[in-house]
Amino acid sequence: MQWLDGFIQGILLGGLYAQYALGMALMFGVMRIVNISHGDLMILLALIGVSLSVSFGLGPFVLLVVLVPIAAAIGYVLQRGILNRVVSQDPLPSIIATFGLSIALQNAMQQIWSADTRSIAGGGIEQASWQIGSIFIGVLPVIVLIVATALTGGMDALLRFTKFGRALRASAADVEAAALTGVNPKAVYALATALAVGILGFAAVFQGLRSTVAPSDGPAQLIYAFEAVIIGGMGSIWGAFLGSMVLGISQAIGFRINPGFGILAGHLVFLTVLAIRPQGIFGRS
Amino acid sequence: MTMSINAPGGMPRAKVRSQTASGVVAMIIGIGLLAALVAMPWWAGQGTIRSVVELCCYIAIAQMWNLLAGYGGLVSVGQQAFSGVAAYMMFALAQNMGVNPFIAVPLCLIAPAILAVPTYALLHRLDGPYFAIGTWVVAEVIRLLTTNFGYVNAGAGMSLRVMTQYSAHERAIGVTILCALMLLVTVGGTYWLLRSRYGLALTAMRDNPVSAASQGVNVSRLRFLLFVAGAVGTGLAGAIYFMAQLRITPDAAYGPQWATVAIFIVMIGGIGSIEGVLIGSFIYFFADRWFGDYGATYLVVLGVLTLLVALFARGGVWGLVNKVVDAPWFPTRRVLVSGGDQ
Repeated sequence: MQWLDGFIQGILLGGLYAQYALGMALMFGVMRIVNISHGDLMILLALIGVSLSVSFGLGPFVLLVVLVPIAAAIGYVLQRGILNRVVSQDPLPSIIATFGLSIALQNAMQQIWSADTRSIAGGGIEQASWQIGSIFIGVLPVIVLIVATALTGGMDALLRFTKFGRALRASAADVEAAALTGVNPKAVYALATALAVGILGFAAVFQGLRSTVAPSDGPAQLIYAFEAVIIGGMGSIWGAFLGSMVLGISQAIGFRINPGFGILAGHLVFLTVLAIRPQGIFGRS
Repeated sequence: MTMSINAPGGMPRAKVRSQTASGVVAMIIGIGLLAALVAMPWWAGQGTIRSVVELCCYIAIAQMWNLLAGYGGLVSVGQQAFSGVAAYMMFALAQNMGVNPFIAVPLCLIAPAILAVPTYALLHRLDGPYFAIGTWVVAEVIRLLTTNFGYVNAGAGMSLRVMTQYSAHERAIGVTILCALMLLVTVGGTYWLLRSRYGLALTAMRDNPVSAASQGVNVSRLRFLLFVAGAVGTGLAGAIYFMAQLRITPDAAYGPQWATVAIFIVMIGGIGSIEGVLIGSFIYFFADRWFGDYGATYLVVLGVLTLLVALFARGGVWGLVNKVVDAPWFPTRRVLVSGGDQ
């Protein structure tokens, strides 16, 4: 029974990871831009959310409505101000630029919010759960999983069927050819990053509700998102979703084997996938 | 121009100059500084020695990162896996197995060398940015394994109590000699490598890996060797750093601050040059001394500076200097003085 419980909790945890990973699947997998500050941006948004909910007494759903546009705006400015200048065949400038940004963000957040862990008050929803047999299923984690599924489906449809999606895929495949056909790659990229960071707005609220956030948590979230994207297969939106599930289940089962082994189990599964199927579950070799 | 190439009887005699006056002066100063370093226990105080040892470790770690990122195109943010594993190996050899700590420093390098092989085998499948984050995962795995490993006292860390058998003066002599050897191996070794046949291959690979491969450079083999060499050099710095600290914990050994320091030094100083590493190390060292007390604010400035260099001045300080004067300290260019049919 405890393994079934671990499996179910792992899928629910995977829902949260899918929300980190979705934005990264778009930037990493489709646009091939690396953003080392991905996790730190999520933490920044969560801390902004904590302050907003404390100052104005906002409930979690109002907070989502406020925070997601803020997140999208940050993403737009990030792409326009920094990432568009460093996008090139050479990955070094973008790694270094966003690494510097990550260090600056982590320490700036520590100055503003101190190193304490905080969480967002959800008005009771964070404790509510259903009991099925001996297994408790939290209401909030189920909501997180549903939202993650909807976001993944929406993003996949957006990339497949809309003009914006075609323009983005064209820019990622060949910037110059896309520009020749009338696409403005820089504008398309800015919108795509706004979308990717906007989704982090959802992740930030749910992370703040489900557990705690501290200024130094960003790198761990970056690594989880990255592992989910690689496990699922680069460039596949549903792959990132599935990769998040694999990661969540590995960690939850690992925690039940030994509390010190949880996070490590996730890393080991990632390395194993890298060894036996480097293109990921959904990737084309 | 092409006649000389087609001339019968093979290649014409050509004279190539690869040393400059500035290079000779820098070499003499360098040897002088190394001698002063080894003599430190007789002229400097404990505090100064500790600071200089720290500076030497920064130089070595940054130089190894520069070798990987600047020449190999292997951007790593997880080199702390190698410095940490070497330092832990040294502690285990000296404290748990009774090996002389100064002998344990070279012996412990087997650990980063062995770790580098499977790490590279797994991660070389990931290109560019993905490789970078992959190295970070490996560093995290090693940190978590160490935290769960009772033999090295798990998360609580270890103290190097065996060092109490030496007086402070004897310890200083041992550590400064090790530092001098470390600089010879990492900085001197890179210089020698860049001036050798392999240097041409490395420089070609830095400028364009695809065309280097088409000229007969075995890029994947060279990258693998660079990765292992970088791991060993970084490990040496880690072992010496924690020997001077006398104490190690998983969080200190495998913390991302190692990557931060290496990246800052190389980017500010100037990537792809030995001079840049030295300049960057001095800037970081003095910035840390003067502004380190500002804590988080100081690190914000460090992060923003790294960002600005990546955006606007990819060559760093040495790149800016190079635009004004051409006086390399470590000349690696080959200049054709005379050649052809004369």
